Amino acid sequence: MDTFIEYFRLFFSVALVSNLVLAKFLGLCPFIGVTKKTSSAVGMGFAVIFVMALASVATFAIYKLVLMPLGLEKALNIVVFILVIASLVQFVEMVVQKVSPPLYRALGIYLPLITTNCAVLGVTQLNLAFRDGSFGAGLLKSAIQGVGGGLGFLLAMILMSGMRERLDTLPLPKAMKGVPIAFVTTACLALAFLGFTGMA
Amino acid sequence: MISLAPPLMPVLAAADAAPSPVGTVALSILVVGLLGAVFGIILFVASKKFAVKTDPRVEEVLGALPGANCGACGLAGCPAYAEGVVLKGLAVNLCAPGGAKAAKMIAAVMGVEPGESERRVSVLRCRGSRARAKERMEYRGVADCRAAALVLGGPKACTYGCLGLGTCVEACPFGAIVMGADGLPHVLEARCTACGRCVDACPRHLYVLAPEKRTVHVLCSSRDPGRATRAACEVGCIACKACERACKFDAIHVVDNLAVIDEEKCKNCGACVRACPQAIIGDFRKMRKALAASARSATNAGGEAAAS
Amino acid sequence: MRTFRGGVHPHDHKELAREAAIEPVPLPERLVVSMNQQLGAPAKAVVEPGAEVLRGELLGEAGGFVSAPVHAPTSGRVVDVAPHPHPVAGSAPAVVIEPDGRDAWAEGCDRDSGERLDAVEPGEIVARIREAGVVGMGGATFPTHVKLSPPKDKSIEVVILNGCECEPYLTADHRLMLERTAEVVSGLRLLVKAVGASRGVIGVEANKPDAAQALSGLAAEFGFPVEVLRVKYPQGAEKQLIKALTGREVPSGGLPMDVGCLVQNVGTAVAAHEAVLRARPVTERVCTVTGRGAARPGNYLVRVGMPMAHLLAHAGVRGGVRRLVLGGPMMGLAQWTADVPVLKGTSGVLALMDAPEWKTRACISCGRCVEGCPSYLVPSRLSILAEAGAFSEMIDEANALDCIECGVCTYVCPARRPIVQWIRQAKWEARIRKMKADRVRAEEAKRAQEKESAATA
Repeated sequence: MDTFIEYFRLFFSVALVSNLVLAKFLGLCPFIGVTKKTSSAVGMGFAVIFVMALASVATFAIYKLVLMPLGLEKALNIVVFILVIASLVQFVEMVVQKVSPPLYRALGIYLPLITTNCAVLGVTQLNLAFRDGSFGAGLLKSAIQGVGGGLGFLLAMILMSGMRERLDTLPLPKAMKGVPIAFVTTACLALAFLGFTGMA
Repeated sequence: MISLAPPLMPVLAAADAAPSPVGTVALSILVVGLLGAVFGIILFVASKKFAVKTDPRVEEVLGALPGANCGACGLAGCPAYAEGVVLKGLAVNLCAPGGAKAAKMIAAVMGVEPGESERRVSVLRCRGSRARAKERMEYRGVADCRAAALVLGGPKACTYGCLGLGTCVEACPFGAIVMGADGLPHVLEARCTACGRCVDACPRHLYVLAPEKRTVHVLCSSRDPGRATRAACEVGCIACKACERACKFDAIHVVDNLAVIDEEKCKNCGACVRACPQAIIGDFRKMRKALAASARSATNAGGEAAAS
Repeated sequence: MRTFRGGVHPHDHKELAREAAIEPVPLPERLVVSMNQQLGAPAKAVVEPGAEVLRGELLGEAGGFVSAPVHAPTSGRVVDVAPHPHPVAGSAPAVVIEPDGRDAWAEGCDRDSGERLDAVEPGEIVARIREAGVVGMGGATFPTHVKLSPPKDKSIEVVILNGCECEPYLTADHRLMLERTAEVVSGLRLLVKAVGASRGVIGVEANKPDAAQALSGLAAEFGFPVEVLRVKYPQGAEKQLIKALTGREVPSGGLPMDVGCLVQNVGTAVAAHEAVLRARPVTERVCTVTGRGAARPGNYLVRVGMPMAHLLAHAGVRGGVRRLVLGGPMMGLAQWTADVPVLKGTSGVLALMDAPEWKTRACISCGRCVEGCPSYLVPSRLSILAEAGAFSEMIDEANALDCIECGVCTYVCPARRPIVQWIRQAKWEARIRKMKADRVRAEEAKRAQEKESAATA
């Protein structure tokens, strides 16, 4: 049965072992685009956690309660999920613009890009593994996977932005400055995260 | 356990009864449409609650600016200036790199007159190249003019002159300053936007932003008395006042051992240029004509400024 | 043996001048007494050319509270008051004196009143020290009376005398401790009394056992222990000395008084004794002239304002000297001309025969500088930030203002990076930034005030 340790293992797995950015290579667009400064990386990370968590819960509920009974789950899966995620992102955009205009400006185009971010859609698809159990358990596991995935994403972004802020000051060859060295660093970071596989 | 199946029973029965593709499609459209409507209403309500008043003109003004974030306007960057123009009523012609073109566009957005904006360029007021200005010490250290200037007053015998280590070259965001082979930086006037970064970067404050229509400039900044200047540099102002005597418009005077041009009175006639025995007053007309000619003949005219 | 974190062990080359007893140098033809002799505001000249002055007479009055007066080093005539080359500032106003050979003290100076230390009140001690122009003789030249006047809420519990002389080559303090032992201890007693401290202690590095021995006998009579410390540069730095002797750490951005301590050089203690009990303003100091370029290396008693060229000639410094360093090799300043005068803080002159060339390379993150930094900084990061021009970040995030500019990082760096010079540049940029910000704020305040007065009018 689902003990606490099962939930913890799920959380740990999606946050570190199968980190969305560094192990599954989802969501590279905001990862590379927003990690130039730690302040915007943290802001984006929290926005993603929020969207991922809510999207996980909402999409799982709609899947189990609307799509499965109607037999439409295979057909409308992606479409409906995107609809939900897009609405959530619009909502988050409005809130951020109101609450913190500097963060809104700093994130710029990358905030609405959470919608097409494969990491969010990816997590919602991963949640479908729980569709065969009870609704309550499945919903809880989806929520944990959403929050865990988001936190893992945030962690990767903070690590990356810290490294990129340092890289900015170094005398690199002109061709490598900016995005090229960021990709090389991401690869090294991904290799480092492979160290977690033993804990799966 | 909640399920929406019961209310839709009739629909389901219909679907099971006739499992036609049309049925599935119709059902899909219905479901997505309903969901879309629900979310749409939620977002509509949210947009009213979280409304943020933004003036669309800020975006338009921002579009008219070059986006270099150089700070010449006096604000932190192009977005800040755009906001300043629209929300705080700043002048529309403060953007030097944008120039007259940007000023006109911004004026059109704001519905005002563009106002006067003449082109300015940066001028280096020193001719102390490695060959002409003496070094009094062998400086070994950080290759930055600001750092070198802090070491016992700098490696040059003249404590007012150019150190030639290239801090201004680094500072220019438009690549308009190049280091000459003689150890003096040269301003490529075609690329200069008078943003003022070089003025801030030079620890000796040798750069000045002058209107392009001015062609006569005193190219020395030394306030040392004549004998000390002559000992330190071949092309330094020795305060002999020959320029003062030659000027028919009372536009040039020696103040604090240095010739200074009164811009209001100067007519760019060049009499002082010819009178100066040290050849430190430059007439930029000749140089600009030569540059224009060689640009016309489609050769690269960078870096050669013989201001004499 | 007690010590501090980090540091480095350069070869100390002290054998060149260690055995040389303090020896006075004959007066030169001209003495150039700079008005810029101390940290803080320069002094303001109060004499005109043509004036006749006696030794100890006031030449320049203090330019503020954090400043010190300057006195005539000998009797003679003032021939000029004008800018002259200065070994630190490049150029500074100076009073030029032509000695008359009598070397006569001014009225009221140099009296051996036989006054007992117990008879002088603390306030009087500080006042006499101030009037005599006593500044930190270790080289920092911070006006001593300012250190002796902490704000009401800060009390000094322990006075520490720095007898470490951690800079290589220099031996002036060593000789002072050996030859003027009584004055050193007397100076410590005066300083302890002046600030009302409960105890005093003298720190001496282990490479000066004879000095430690000489001091401990006399110091013990007054209850001052003499602590022998491990030989490591920069043990003599204020904060490092406090850490080694008391275990306390001066907080970032703070001062020794924040942990109840006061540190003074042994030379300053001697100057304090002379000022308070012998009414002698600062007119001379002991200066080590050494290095392979000096034929007669030694510890010379020189007058303030003595031209360097004169001193070098006396010490047998011949041609072929590639570098002339004022101070020690770690923190001293190389000079481009010998036409500079001796200052109150000139502890040594090095005539070095070599001037090695090196190429600065990229930081290899070896960590030697981090290991060596006595201020717990990360010099490699500071150097990278400086190279990228990020001076504000150096100050705000990397604590560049805590750097004591000791030079350990630059000394150990295998990539030959001029780290201290970069940090100095960052500090300067921070100063300029602060001045600009203050100016902008003042302008805004003025504009706001004008608006207000226009509105009420």
